[in-house]
Amino acid sequence: MIEVSGLVKRYGSFAAVRGVSFTVDTGRIVGLLGPNGAGKTTIMKVLTGYHRPSEGCAILDGKDVVEDPIGVKSMVGYLPEGVPLYLDMTVTEYLGFIADARGMSGPGRKRSLDKAIDDCGLSTVAGVRMERLSKGFRQRVGLAQAILHDPAILILDEPTTGLDPNQILEIRSLILSLGARKTVILSTHILQEVEALCSEVLILNEGRIVAQGSAAQIAADMQGDERLECLVKGSGKAAAEALRLVPCVLSADPAGVAAPGVERLRVVAGHGDGDTAAEAVFDWAAANGAKLLEMRRERLSMEDIFVRLTGEESRR
Amino acid sequence: MSGTTTIARREIASYFNSPVAYIFIVAFLLSCGTLFFFFERFFAAGQATMRGYFALMPFVLSVLIPALTMRLWAEERRQGTYELLLTMPFGDGELVLGKYLAAMAVVSVAMALSLPVPLLASMFGRFDAGVIVSEYLGAMMMASAATAIGQAVSGASRNQISAFMATVLILLSLSLLSQATTWIELPLWLAGAVNWISLAYHFSSFARGVIDTRDVAYFALLTAGCLWVTTRLLSTGKWS
Repeated sequence: MIEVSGLVKRYGSFAAVRGVSFTVDTGRIVGLLGPNGAGKTTIMKVLTGYHRPSEGCAILDGKDVVEDPIGVKSMVGYLPEGVPLYLDMTVTEYLGFIADARGMSGPGRKRSLDKAIDDCGLSTVAGVRMERLSKGFRQRVGLAQAILHDPAILILDEPTTGLDPNQILEIRSLILSLGARKTVILSTHILQEVEALCSEVLILNEGRIVAQGSAAQIAADMQGDERLECLVKGSGKAAAEALRLVPCVLSADPAGVAAPGVERLRVVAGHGDGDTAAEAVFDWAAANGAKLLEMRRERLSMEDIFVRLTGEESRR
Repeated sequence: MSGTTTIARREIASYFNSPVAYIFIVAFLLSCGTLFFFFERFFAAGQATMRGYFALMPFVLSVLIPALTMRLWAEERRQGTYELLLTMPFGDGELVLGKYLAAMAVVSVAMALSLPVPLLASMFGRFDAGVIVSEYLGAMMMASAATAIGQAVSGASRNQISAFMATVLILLSLSLLSQATTWIELPLWLAGAVNWISLAYHFSSFARGVIDTRDVAYFALLTAGCLWVTTRLLSTGKWS
């Protein structure tokens, strides 16, 4: 269980995290989402005891990151951004060093090493110097390092960057299986990943939480406006003027010429009014004998929502 | 304590996995040997003494120890493994001590490999074994202080080259300070103070075969002080 309250982290005069509070229960996987510089990595660095909070506190399974950093570090598995590795070591040597650092010994050490190597699909490269490994393998070594001591809390900074689609699926299923028993926080840029893995999402921007909840919930809240793009034979301007009179239409604007004599028309309707707006376009065309060549509903993707949410925030 | 040995073992492996340790050892033996036999004219002098050999030690160590210590933290920063180390359940003291011991292990190997020089030389005359023991002790103590200084500088550096240059500068200045008192006329108290902070000054009594507790204390304090400074550097990094 992770409890963060009123967390502020300043680097000099720059505040990277400005008052973030959240709780993650055991058996939950929480995704941190946000543009670069939103504070995701900083939050993770505070949770792992690498950086100290400027204000507020973070408590992991009852241990405070400031008062008991060693205690926190012992029970956390951390995959830092960029997967730092000692490239002069082989995979086995490196994981052996981590096992020693974690104070493991005896048959338990061997069992954990074998399990981590197996779970992360590293058996074929166990004896290879890591400078020769591909990015995907390095990423998996980093993950093996993080799960080696079967930590109660896993903190993964962009765990699937650099992996190919098959590896991504493997690692995701590994994280899902781990997530059932542990508390997991991961950061990512990939929105599908959040939907596939996380029971809850925190969207961060400029050091603050701007949205919080399950991915579906946030999507429903953010869906907002619905857009239609139409191709009209004739004057787009006249069409736009007529459509603006329809109550559910928020805006209708000509958007340039698509082909000679064919103009593009963009219609925006309120949340949930997409169907009504589409009908209105059809009715207008039928009543006026206008020729509608194409009508396409644009649904806001998670990406669009994310960009809008974090983009608007940063302009404020 | 087990953290210290874990770190020391990894660092030693890394020294010997790369050419660093070998280059250091060869450079150390070569520079001591050639300087001694050619510049100090051991054979021409006709004296059964190793003083010439050890007189150059402060300068040899000032240039070579930084090559050993420059990577200790600067390289961790470059590779990003700094973050890994600091999120493992190590105490700051364990990390610093482990790295110090690893560098000292390489120095010890180099010192041990230089032993044949006095042993061979002893075939040409009657050497005072006590003096040689004191000289080696002094060299190790000075290397220890230099290693601790080098580690602190590396801990404050972003890259290895600047760590190397800064450490050489500091060590050479500390060694040359005692020379300054012979070049310039200084008030007695100032000359004493300058000598007191000079590495070479404290080493020189060891080189004469005198083990003075004040010199031992100087090197021990300098070592402990710099190791402590390094741990403080690690902790301040977490707050800034």
